[in-house]
Amino acid sequence: MLGFIVRRILRGVVALLAFQFLLFALVHSLPGDFASIAGAFSGPGGRAFMQRQLGLDQPLLQQYFDWLKGFVQLDFGQSFLYRPETVSGILLDRAPRTLLLFLSAAALSYVLGIWLGKIVAWRRGGLFEFGALTVGVAAHTSFAPWLAFLGLGLFAWNLRWLPYQNLINFNVWLRVDISLDEILLRLVISGFALFGVFLLARLISRKGTRGRRVIGAGTFLLAVLLVVALWERSGYSPLALDVLRHLMLPLGTVVLLSFGETMMTMRATMLETIGDDHVVAARAKGLPDKVVRDRHVARIAMLPVLTRILLSLPFVLVGSLVIERVFFWRAMGQVVFNAIEFQDLPLIVGVLTMIGLISLVAHIVLDVLYVALDPRLRYA
Amino acid sequence: MHDATAMESIAPTRPRSQSWRIFRSHRYGMLGLALLVIFGIMAMSHPILMSTILDRARYDPIVGFDSVYFPHPTGPSITHPLGTDNYGRDVMSQLLYGARVSFGVGIVAGIVAAVVSTLSGGLAGYFRGWVDHLLMGVADIMVLLPAPVVLLIFGLLVRMEWIVLGVLYGILAGAGALAIIVKSHTLTLREKPFVEAAQSVGGSDRHIFRTHLLPGILPLTTVNFFFTVVGAILTESLLSYFNRTQVDLSWGTMIWIGQETFRAFTMEGQWHAILAPALAIMLLCSAFYLVGRALDDVLNPRLRRR
Repeated sequence: MLGFIVRRILRGVVALLAFQFLLFALVHSLPGDFASIAGAFSGPGGRAFMQRQLGLDQPLLQQYFDWLKGFVQLDFGQSFLYRPETVSGILLDRAPRTLLLFLSAAALSYVLGIWLGKIVAWRRGGLFEFGALTVGVAAHTSFAPWLAFLGLGLFAWNLRWLPYQNLINFNVWLRVDISLDEILLRLVISGFALFGVFLLARLISRKGTRGRRVIGAGTFLLAVLLVVALWERSGYSPLALDVLRHLMLPLGTVVLLSFGETMMTMRATMLETIGDDHVVAARAKGLPDKVVRDRHVARIAMLPVLTRILLSLPFVLVGSLVIERVFFWRAMGQVVFNAIEFQDLPLIVGVLTMIGLISLVAHIVLDVLYVALDPRLRYA
Repeated sequence: MHDATAMESIAPTRPRSQSWRIFRSHRYGMLGLALLVIFGIMAMSHPILMSTILDRARYDPIVGFDSVYFPHPTGPSITHPLGTDNYGRDVMSQLLYGARVSFGVGIVAGIVAAVVSTLSGGLAGYFRGWVDHLLMGVADIMVLLPAPVVLLIFGLLVRMEWIVLGVLYGILAGAGALAIIVKSHTLTLREKPFVEAAQSVGGSDRHIFRTHLLPGILPLTTVNFFFTVVGAILTESLLSYFNRTQVDLSWGTMIWIGQETFRAFTMEGQWHAILAPALAIMLLCSAFYLVGRALDDVLNPRLRRR
């Protein structure tokens, strides 16, 4: 297992390096360069000077190896467009928000999709199935900015519950001694902690007696109260609430966009598994309906869903990049657009490496998870 | 009757009528098929309408202008069932024209992706060794970036006509994740006894691949074709919406233009100019998606027991 993980990571690193070189070559082969775009009015002499300054007059390999020398020392170079900001500075500034949206949307949509798919496959042909399928498919196939507009029109314009854009309301953030990234980190940690306690509580209450169920629910409630109390005590709860309020619409939009795919896959694989012999046997034993559903059908049906996540991850990623642009976030989506538009070579390679790294980690995690969940593959 | 049972026992696949019967039992799949037919009629009817009853100067989707109504954009009326956009062009005519672009991009991308993924995934799974390393190395690189981002860069290199966009999307999607999926499927197929039997009697690689592996890969490819089409249509409209393609007019462009008069997102003003293309994208993509889902059930051998 360990050997498999190491080999998988090595393969990923090689792919990432090759990918960076290809990006260099691709951007190099584009007509014009940053100097000819940004220095459009500075005359041929000015453009040549700019090219010399930025090192754009060097041959491709020279430029690549110069850049690589910096990269292995974790120095991504300096952006042409956002000078004097460095690429790593821009990434550190923008990436946390994109990651927050992407990761929370991915996690939420997979949990929601798998759960809904399970229920929809178990009780077929009702109004609930019709509603879930319609919403899931319609949202999954609808045009992302338009879906965001619908949410904005309803919740921001008509009901006035949620703010229109940005991740923070600057009035709330006047004279605070903590950075946004810190708050985001703490929010993510609280979220993970609550989710962990939730799983634990479910584990406790699984055996079904009323006393255990009360204990399970009590544990979860206690954890929620504890988290809220901790936030209140630190005095940053207004900031956290502000971020959460701003996060609600973009997150909701991306989750709506992407849960349908998982739901449909889960439903299909559940329907496949329901006919299996071991399910019939479990029913004949007189096991409760829910136990058969969750442990004898859903557990097996989850495996193929993981393969399809491979296909739907880029979808969620593009969804988050687009949606954060619609909501005018100061995040990666905006940087990707500008970098490509101005052929800002170090920034393009830096930002796209970052996106590539996100997908790479997701793929490796999925591969490892797949092998861990399917014992048949372990000996292959 | 007699013939049908005889054929079933010999032929590895079911008779076509039986597949159709299973497909017909999927209500959502049938809904998707009906929508596809409607959109197909829409796409085909546009050139016919333009050359017969519609006045070119007034109804042309790109250079038409209605000088009777003022000011543009106007709401729905009898002469313009879906109103006009702010350049005085008929939205209905644009919608019909855009159906052709979306179908074109989607189907070109779907076919290219199906061919590329079958070849690269199938060959990698069958030959293994260095072919596998090479093709899966390419796939490893392809899955690092979402296709729309790569297409943004390619947009600076080539003119993004709809057909170029379709082919590029097909290659990007087909050589990446789809190839990996097809490869893992091929790996399970090639362990089957009939492949070993064919090899032991001296069947050539070409023969084994074509007659023994391809029929097993094709159902997977067919289903993925429909999902690729959905991705391609959404990507095309997204790139057109951000004005990064050279498609002369598509649903994405229409939303982008409609937004100018839409007063941001307040649901006021000329909502029709943005609602029609947005709904059209959603319905066409749902149609392809639902047909793909239903076909998944039809072609999936594990469901035949049901």
